[in-house]
Amino acid sequence: MTSPLIVIGENIHTTRVLLRKGPRLATVDGVDVIKFTTVDGVESALTVPDSAKRTQDWEQGRVKHVMVAIDTAMRGGPEAALGVEYLRTMARNQERTGAHFLDLNVDEISMKAEGQQAAMRWLVKTMEGMTKLPLSIDSSSVENIRAGFEALSGKGQRTMLNSASLERLDALDLAKAYNAPVVVTAAGEKGMPDGIQPRVDNAAGMVEAALQRGIPLSDLYVDPLIFPVSVDTAFGPHCLEAIRALRLRFGPEIHITGGMSNVSFGIPARKLINDVFLVLAMEAGADSAIMDPVVSKPAELAHLDRTTVAYKFAEDIILDRDRNCRNFLKAWRKGVLKI
Amino acid sequence: MAELSDIKNATIRAEIEEFVTRPEEIARNVALFTRAHERMQAIAAGIIDGDDDLVDKLTTEAIEAGHEALEVMDDGLIAGMGVVGIKFRENFIFVPEVLACARAMKAGMKHIEPILSASGVEPIATVIMGTVKGDLHDIGKNLCIMMLRGSGFEVIDLGVDTSADAFIDAIETHGAPIVGMSALLTTTMPNMGKTIEAFIDAGLREQVLVMVGGAPVTQEFADDMGADGYGKDALACVSLAKQLIEAKRRNAPA
Repeated sequence: MTSPLIVIGENIHTTRVLLRKGPRLATVDGVDVIKFTTVDGVESALTVPDSAKRTQDWEQGRVKHVMVAIDTAMRGGPEAALGVEYLRTMARNQERTGAHFLDLNVDEISMKAEGQQAAMRWLVKTMEGMTKLPLSIDSSSVENIRAGFEALSGKGQRTMLNSASLERLDALDLAKAYNAPVVVTAAGEKGMPDGIQPRVDNAAGMVEAALQRGIPLSDLYVDPLIFPVSVDTAFGPHCLEAIRALRLRFGPEIHITGGMSNVSFGIPARKLINDVFLVLAMEAGADSAIMDPVVSKPAELAHLDRTTVAYKFAEDIILDRDRNCRNFLKAWRKGVLKI
Repeated sequence: MAELSDIKNATIRAEIEEFVTRPEEIARNVALFTRAHERMQAIAAGIIDGDDDLVDKLTTEAIEAGHEALEVMDDGLIAGMGVVGIKFRENFIFVPEVLACARAMKAGMKHIEPILSASGVEPIATVIMGTVKGDLHDIGKNLCIMMLRGSGFEVIDLGVDTSADAFIDAIETHGAPIVGMSALLTTTMPNMGKTIEAFIDAGLREQVLVMVGGAPVTQEFADDMGADGYGKDALACVSLAKQLIEAKRRNAPA
């Protein structure tokens, strides 16, 4: 399947949730389970452990399913193999839908650094054996990232590092040491960028720091930082214009990516908004995305119908033409945006 | 007992009928809006509609017509925001709409605040807010600040990447009874616990209420590290701050 984007699949994150009332959750003989179909086509069910039911998420109607799978697999016991199968299925689904990297983030598995690092080491070793795709090691802690890289066999393909920024330049040294392609973000040393120019300046600072270390442009994935348009509709143009400016400044070799689904936080019809944003980001010069390829199918993006009413409403909020997303939400309530 | 039909303002009636479902909340809102002057009901309706121009205009008119600033704030602005909070909690409205309501609130408060402070009415309380050490993500914290200010709190914003010392300095300088800490990252969240420990070491823990929030934060985590409360979003932050301060004042010797 051809994808117009280099897709960094973000599905194997411990933050990911399923809705308890959704189709994947079921109660079988009084036991709460997460249903899935293994890569061999076997209908299976992973038990939701009591630890996951004592959480606020559970009470509010959600379950962190990737967390459950990793916990179950790492703890050992009768369902350990099933936990591994669950992860294998998630890897396969992303392979099928066009992911180029499998991004792994376990930051929420534990409050303690040792717990996070143990989980990252385990997950890297486990995933290396079950996917042909290169991994992407993702954490907001450089030490967690280091733990992931140390666990690699070194025999596989080049693993991505996600991410480095001005406040953690040591991650760039790690990327250099492991010859890793690296996501560099536009976060500032002292805060998040406000507007277009600070994004470009921070990102340019990162590119310069990477080049100084001998990391080539073609190994850099710049993330201009995508903020939710629900909070401020100016965030859409900020990000898109920063992408345009970065492409212009650094030419065709560098990669431009980002956590695209952030854009739709706090508003319904997220897939619609995400898809339209991806199309606009590509048009502005992005050639990569940190995204869920199972929900937003990368191969379909190039053919997204841009003449629909739904497209227009979504484009208007992203391009700051719909104050407070008022028209968008009105249309959503009328059912006009169902896709 | 007041009935829904006793409320004069049609918008308020329709809002309560359509969006408020818990019996105790229906009773409270019906009682409140039946008692409230019609002008206040109209202001509340403007808040619920997120119409900042209208709230600006109606608030000015109400003050000119001789209504007390406190009445406008309690029966108009805050009463309207109460309905907004319920609608958001029940997923009837979304973040952009809540923000529009908060901006409408701000448009009203701008006329109320100077009158309140000139007449010696203190803000509900001063709240110190910041994201914890190592955390640069402040969108959520800024929303909380906007809501707190709109609800009558004075807020000292310490920004991002706030050290325990900076929190401690601010608590001492402003004599603030509440501190709000936010973290978006699991890896910076433990710094909330460390900051609370620093409050203990500085001998401040008894005098300050600590509330925490941010995407990875949960009630369990808040309890574990000894915070006084957890809010899951900006509106929860406001009701938590109110609860904490009321409990503190109830328990404090007069």
